[in-house]
Amino acid sequence: MGQEFAVRASGLIKRFGDRRVVDGVDIAVPTGTIYGVLGPNGAGKTTTLRMLLGIIEPDGGTRTLLGHERPREASDRVGYLPEERGLYPAMRAKDAIAFMGALRGLDLKTGRKRAVALLEAAGLGHAVDTKIRKLSKGMAQLVQLLGAVVHQPDLLVLDEPFSGLDPVNQERLEALILAERDRGATVLFSTHVMAHAERLCDRLAIIAGGKRRFEGTVAEARGLLPMRAHYVPERDDAAIATHLPQDATHDERGWHFEVPDGGVEQALSRLIGAGHGIAGLSIERPGLHDAFVRIVGNAALEQGQ
Amino acid sequence: MSKLPRIVRQTFTIARRDFVATVFTPTFLLFLLSPLFTIGFGLVGGMGASSVASGSTDKTRIVAIVAPAQQAAMRAADARLRAMFPRGDRPATLTLENPSADPQAQARAAFAVRKGADVSAALFGDLTHPTILYDGQGRGDARYLAALAEATLRTNPTQTAPLSTATLTSIARIVPTEGGHKQAALVAVIGIFFLTLLLAGQLVGTMMEERSNKVIEVLAAAVSLEAVFFGKLLGMFGSALLFVAFWATLVSQISGILPAQYASAIGQIGPAVGVPIFFLLFFAYFAMAYLLLGAVFLGAGAQASTPRELQMLSLPITIIQVAMVGLALKAIGAPDAASTRFIELFPLSSPYAMAARAADKPDLWPHVAALGWQALWVAIAITIGARVFRRGVLKSGSGRPLFRRRNAVDISVS
Repeated sequence: MGQEFAVRASGLIKRFGDRRVVDGVDIAVPTGTIYGVLGPNGAGKTTTLRMLLGIIEPDGGTRTLLGHERPREASDRVGYLPEERGLYPAMRAKDAIAFMGALRGLDLKTGRKRAVALLEAAGLGHAVDTKIRKLSKGMAQLVQLLGAVVHQPDLLVLDEPFSGLDPVNQERLEALILAERDRGATVLFSTHVMAHAERLCDRLAIIAGGKRRFEGTVAEARGLLPMRAHYVPERDDAAIATHLPQDATHDERGWHFEVPDGGVEQALSRLIGAGHGIAGLSIERPGLHDAFVRIVGNAALEQGQ
Repeated sequence: MSKLPRIVRQTFTIARRDFVATVFTPTFLLFLLSPLFTIGFGLVGGMGASSVASGSTDKTRIVAIVAPAQQAAMRAADARLRAMFPRGDRPATLTLENPSADPQAQARAAFAVRKGADVSAALFGDLTHPTILYDGQGRGDARYLAALAEATLRTNPTQTAPLSTATLTSIARIVPTEGGHKQAALVAVIGIFFLTLLLAGQLVGTMMEERSNKVIEVLAAAVSLEAVFFGKLLGMFGSALLFVAFWATLVSQISGILPAQYASAIGQIGPAVGVPIFFLLFFAYFAMAYLLLGAVFLGAGAQASTPRELQMLSLPITIIQVAMVGLALKAIGAPDAASTRFIELFPLSSPYAMAARAADKPDLWPHVAALGWQALWVAIAITIGARVFRRGVLKSGSGRPLFRRRNAVDISVS
């Protein structure tokens, strides 16, 4: 491929009426990585992806897709699973996959052969000749996903790929995304489910209110929040709170507080000195979920102001 | 990967899908046989049919090749007999001719096309044993000529009145009649109307199917919307090819199965420009009408988010199309009228009217000009249609009424 970035966008803007749905978003997806676009519902994820793919034109900003400033020129090298799934109900599964490959330049004969192999690998070998209308929603979604990869694209763009799938199929999909990355493809997907992003993404961007609020690795996102301590005293009474940091909260499992800049040692010394002792102590890195909630919450506050 | 230019390849991919999805379904069989169900409708009321029919009946003639000495008596007998028929059922107008050296050849020649008249039956030979030739639709006229021969003999008081014994011979026409031209024109207009109406309906149907199945998003991401637009037009055009080929084969073979007199009647239905050229022109005008209407339907169909909206949008287009057919039928009835020139020029009625003209008049150059003129309008319609299609396809599927879509938004925002 040769490019450092499979997708680059700078200052993307899209207005619908008076509303800026996407407001100056920058994205740079390194080639060969799995990149997540995260955001709450209505954040502008789908619109951003559609602009990157050239389905709609941005009102401002620039974008490059696989080295092409006109995304459509690269369309044969791209696979796309839209948020709103769509298949012809009267088509057989293998024909639907081959058809989607044909749209991207793959000849039908090869497409059908690959479709059969893909369906079998995905555990849907029995459904090769089944019409789409007879497949379950999850199976149809997998068929559409296979249609997005049948032509072995350099870039795979998946919009909310996990929605509507049961846990087994979600696991299959995660495996497929990893397999695509291992094949050398770049995978760009949107989601608002942090667990998938945490497991899959090499890098991610968090969008909220049409703006990019964060860009980096999962670890960097988690690093935005301080570590949290979980402390269980040997002796718990009303006086203990005076020896804990001010943000400490209590539940049935014990006390929780953010690790202060200077570490937990000072607080622990005070607690031991006061006779509360240490029955248990763990220091935890906050999850992506917490980072996401913090970032999106801040964005909401900012918008509210 | 294919070496074809991308847009061509993508267009054919869409066209192939639409063709297969249309043709390999049980409903296509209904579509294929629908002309049988719609023959009555195909005559589009009495308007066109009656004007065409009355036009052709007025121009039918019967010919009697008799000695000059007998012509006055025959004319008198004709006047007497003719008065016995109700006005609408009277035989064709009688034309008397003097016999040439070869009356049989003269009688056969009478069936050749004459400007402004078709001969349905011709009598020659001695009136006591005349021979009467008639074409597929002239059997009644032939019987009238036989009766006229006897009535003519009976008007001579010196005649001992041997009864006339006529020999009636059916002949196959080698050239179509003028009425046959009109009928060919009618078939052309109704055929184009019928085909375009059905295909445009199906075209919009596939569009709605893709909107409701959300397939359009997949297509829009993979191929240019122009390719989707052209692919749809082309796919349905392929179905039309199959339809036309089926019926053309059937009609061309049917005369071999039918009894001679009916086969002869069918043989009279023929275009002035000749069958091969007429077929090409019919197809060219059908293509123009279809592309014009298809572009309009697809553009309009892309704006609709629900079948109800689609119906609302389709109805006025269909009404306009029916009006164009009405104009074309009027042009068949009055081929030389000034209004006919307008109907032939007006882009929406031009394909119908010019197809009718090909059936009625042998000149070819007006068709070259008309096809060029129509191609220009097709290009305009497709350009505008494709743009409207692109805008409409990428609008919200929210089902909001059109009048509320001042600022249309994308399919989804998340």
